[in-house]
Amino acid sequence: MKLDIGGNETIPTSVDALWVALNDPAVLTRCIPGCKSMTEIAPDNYKVDMQLRVAAVGGSFEGEIQLSDKQAPKSCSIRVSGAGTLGHGNGTARFDIEPDGEGATRLVYKGTGEIGGLVAGVGQRILASVSKHLIGRFFVALRKEFESPISRAAG
Amino acid sequence: MSEAEIPLKFVSSNRRVREDRRFVAGQGHYVADVALEGLLHVAVLPSQHPAARIVSIDASEALRMPGVHYVLTGEELAKAAEPLMNGLNTPHVKRYPLAVGQVRYAGEWVVAVVAESRAQAEDGAEKVRVVYEPLPYVIDSEEALDLSSTPVHPAHGSNVLLDRTFVWGEVDKHFAESPRHLSFRVTWGRNSTVPIETFGVAAKWDPWREILDVWASIQMPKYSDQIARALRIPLNNVRVHQDVDVGGSYGVKRGIKQTVIVSHLARRLGRPVRLIEDRLDNMRAGDAHGPDRIFDVEVAFDNDGIVKSMKMRALDNAGAYAGRAPFQLGKPIGAIVGPYKIQSVKYRAISVTSNKAAQEAVRGFGQAPTNYAIETAIDKVAAALGLDRIEIRKRNFIRSEEFPYLIPSGTRYDSGDYHTVVAKVLAHADYEGLKRERDELRAQGLCAGIGIAACLEPSGGNSSFEPLLNDANKTTTWMESCRINVDGLGFVTVTIHTTSSGQGHETLAATVVGEVLEIDPDQIRVVRPDSLNSLPGNSPVGSRMAIMLGGAAFHAAKKLKAKIVRLAAHQFGCVESDIVYQGGATSYPGSSRKLTWAEHVNIAHRNFHLLPDGMEPGLEVTHVLQVPTANKLPENGRVQMYPCHSFEFHLVLVVFDPEIGKPKIRRYVIGHDCGTVINPHIVKGMTLGGIAHGIGASLLEEFVYDSEGQMLTQSFMDYLLPSSHEVPHVEIVHHCTPSPFTVFGQKGSGESGYLGSPAAISGAINDAVSPYGISFAKLPIRIAAISDAIAAAKATKEKVQS
Repeated sequence: MKLDIGGNETIPTSVDALWVALNDPAVLTRCIPGCKSMTEIAPDNYKVDMQLRVAAVGGSFEGEIQLSDKQAPKSCSIRVSGAGTLGHGNGTARFDIEPDGEGATRLVYKGTGEIGGLVAGVGQRILASVSKHLIGRFFVALRKEFESPISRAAG
Repeated sequence: MSEAEIPLKFVSSNRRVREDRRFVAGQGHYVADVALEGLLHVAVLPSQHPAARIVSIDASEALRMPGVHYVLTGEELAKAAEPLMNGLNTPHVKRYPLAVGQVRYAGEWVVAVVAESRAQAEDGAEKVRVVYEPLPYVIDSEEALDLSSTPVHPAHGSNVLLDRTFVWGEVDKHFAESPRHLSFRVTWGRNSTVPIETFGVAAKWDPWREILDVWASIQMPKYSDQIARALRIPLNNVRVHQDVDVGGSYGVKRGIKQTVIVSHLARRLGRPVRLIEDRLDNMRAGDAHGPDRIFDVEVAFDNDGIVKSMKMRALDNAGAYAGRAPFQLGKPIGAIVGPYKIQSVKYRAISVTSNKAAQEAVRGFGQAPTNYAIETAIDKVAAALGLDRIEIRKRNFIRSEEFPYLIPSGTRYDSGDYHTVVAKVLAHADYEGLKRERDELRAQGLCAGIGIAACLEPSGGNSSFEPLLNDANKTTTWMESCRINVDGLGFVTVTIHTTSSGQGHETLAATVVGEVLEIDPDQIRVVRPDSLNSLPGNSPVGSRMAIMLGGAAFHAAKKLKAKIVRLAAHQFGCVESDIVYQGGATSYPGSSRKLTWAEHVNIAHRNFHLLPDGMEPGLEVTHVLQVPTANKLPENGRVQMYPCHSFEFHLVLVVFDPEIGKPKIRRYVIGHDCGTVINPHIVKGMTLGGIAHGIGASLLEEFVYDSEGQMLTQSFMDYLLPSSHEVPHVEIVHHCTPSPFTVFGQKGSGESGYLGSPAAISGAINDAVSPYGISFAKLPIRIAAISDAIAAAKATKEKVQS
């Protein structure tokens, strides 16, 4: 089944810092929900291992992420493909990064994906909301990356 | 053949269904209850792609998982087994239990993992790594019919499995003569019977005795033959245990691929092996989907509503493999004009492969979709002429004095009295009152509609559609058998030679034998020997067992009674025709002597010196019954399909809120005539269940595939079944027109209710939305479809007004 995603998020950091973070496998491993590991296998090519649950089904997912059309620090395309016990999927998305007022950056994303296997068969009714939820968790984690230790303690 | 002279004592009487006691008490014995020492369990890995080449399979990690014994691939199994049976002469549409080289639908089984427990096998399956190279696929039926579409089986060359056009009678002339024509398209969505118990099978190989023992939740003709052929072993090395209860089927329990997998594994591993599908296995790849069919219908009629001729094109989506699915286009040929005197028919039957799950037999074997198309045509003719929908049916019905009635496609209907059944239903339901009730509901702002369906249940199943659609197939024999043995202490044991999936065959056989021998059926034991001890048979398909097992049991009991009479005549020194047989005892009117049941038994078992010359000792008889009327191959595209034709007439009132669109069945009346009823509880249960099934087919149930070939309704959260909320109280109006072709005048009822309820409910919904100028041409009609269509119609109306 086809899946469309899109939206924008404001991150409390500079354009350059966000660009660096989004190109750092260590940061992405911490932010991508269920991501166990992310290994660079070639420049801008990563292997990822994930453990996810969607509705009543849970399982592991092995995939590859490729970055392309990089225009640092403004935009980049991302291609994700993979398969696992949950099903298989592939998708592409485009990210645009732009300043958003004082000390903040706006990340605009838009993409499409195709999903098959168990996730499509069992979870399709809630797939759109689950994908929103997972994207939401990604940005919550990403924001945390830029919160200062002081504000974290205060929070 | 009818035994009208003797009043029936047990047949048709209000007697308990003997099987019900064990089912209600939870004491059924299902395949999962069969305890085998050292049993191993199988889990299967499904394909995630609708079409893909299998590049590689890596099972090394799976084999290291705890409890995992073995991982079976399609390549290995294809070397050890023949392809599964294909009903058509399409040798390049090969089907193996596990995908070989290529997957052809999402969900198709790719490997089978064997472990100490099912849980360990599932964990193992998760670790099997399969690399696929996705291939082009086709899902839509019309697209598949297009010769430029990607063939599901490249070696076959196209997706067309079957494309046959039959012309019965002077269709062109009748169309030219008729002042009015109309045409339309309706679509029957892919659904099934989804039994509570999924398919399961256990197999054990004994190398010292060279016997493969099989226990399965099966309902399939020639099951053991198919196992032996697939595994290339003698048929007498296969022993199918038929004393396994089957937790629901109505056609779909055809687990041959599952059986070949576990049988091969049992031989390979030297341990008993079991595969019990979970719900997801069953829904997406249990070979349990029913017809998936588009009808294009054109009818020619006059201004009085008399339908003279019909052209029907039925395009059926068989899914990825051929199997027996295309035959579901063939069986309805035996009732292609329904209960109507349509004089000529042109029928084009097309079956195509697609990248959906393989289709299998479902209750009615294609008849319910065909009835839906025919009944829609009759409704449309009524609407075109502004005639009442019941009036138009009455005008077109075959009249009771016209039976046996030969329809254009070569089947002779046995008997019926459609006008009387309709009159009884209308009197019971108060049709005029029902129309007033509908109109009052409409006046309250609700959508309300009346649905009507009149249709036939062809019964007594044989397989005439096989030679009709496959010239290489010359099968005309489609028998069923019964054995009766009276033991040395006088107790009666009847054997039946098939599994049962809730049809009450034990009650049927005991009732019939008790009737003929005039002994209490409750004293009769009914057993199911294994397949090696069985007489020939074809299992309970095609609504046949009341006719076929009932008939075989009747004839066997008659033979037994004749033997007792001959034995008695020898004692009395009289001719057999002078003997009076009553309640198991015999007497000779010229003498005061009487022989009791026990005395007959004693002579037969112990006094050889008292037996007539040439009589074998003991009291044991068998009878093998051929389907009545089934005595020749098709000629010129015409054939006698099934022998008997039950009739049902549905009258339904549906109501719903136009905003919400959730139909509520406010009244459901069915007139039902299946000839002589052998057990009224069984017939009632079949009819109620059939109507519930039809509610599912018309409003809820569908195996939906998206345009990427993924099945979206794999669980009961998405594949909706009717529950007690949707199934109304059903009023059954009985009528009995005996069949001249069966022993008691009985006809089939295993598909009753289901064959007409989808047509009736669809008609009711369409009547309800008719004030909006819309109608629905595809089943199921889901809630969202109703509310969306009404909203769209309202919006269009407002736009026009503004």
